[in-house]
Amino acid sequence: MNSSQNNLRLFPRYFNKIGLGIILGIIVFMLLSFFEIFFIDKEVAKTITKTLFLISLLIFSITRSKIEDELTVAIRLKAFAASFIFGVMIVIVDPFVNLVFEGVFLLEKGAVELLISMLLFYFFMVFLMKKNR
Amino acid sequence: MKNTIKIERAIKYLTQEALANEIGVSRQTINSIETNRYVPSTLLALKLSKVFDKSVNDIFELEEND
Repeated sequence: MNSSQNNLRLFPRYFNKIGLGIILGIIVFMLLSFFEIFFIDKEVAKTITKTLFLISLLIFSITRSKIEDELTVAIRLKAFAASFIFGVMIVIVDPFVNLVFEGVFLLEKGAVELLISMLLFYFFMVFLMKKNR
Repeated sequence: MKNTIKIERAIKYLTQEALANEIGVSRQTINSIETNRYVPSTLLALKLSKVFDKSVNDIFELEEND
């Protein structure tokens, strides 16, 4: 029987440490640029920070949890579907929110912010579904 | 779909944890199956039937709305 049928080919557990390392790197990078130990353009620093944060979230989302079985696979897939719908809802609703508060009908969220929101929503959904299983 | 896992487990003096370890899933998964919140895959159903030495049809039963 195909034993990989229920497996999502996730990263091994040690990738969590890599993700944590990246987050620690972000904190160090932010502190260094805040205290002006080295000079870097603010916008460039923002882009680097956001991108690294996105990478770490992606690593966390596709790394195996302690116990991985067919129920956790189902939870992961449901959470990914929910976060995709959440992302679409943000794209639809965001211009209306901007219209109400700023008077402009524009989508102000960038791709990185949108993906970060979606991944954070994914973790929230996984947490909720694991709690209620 | 209803099942008799809880009864079978009691007959074999197995805790949820012990059964979970035997078939390679988490204790929460066994709990979800017992409380009908999760329908297991064929693979898991066959593993359960092997542990309890009964056919899948004896453990799982379709309900009217299934």
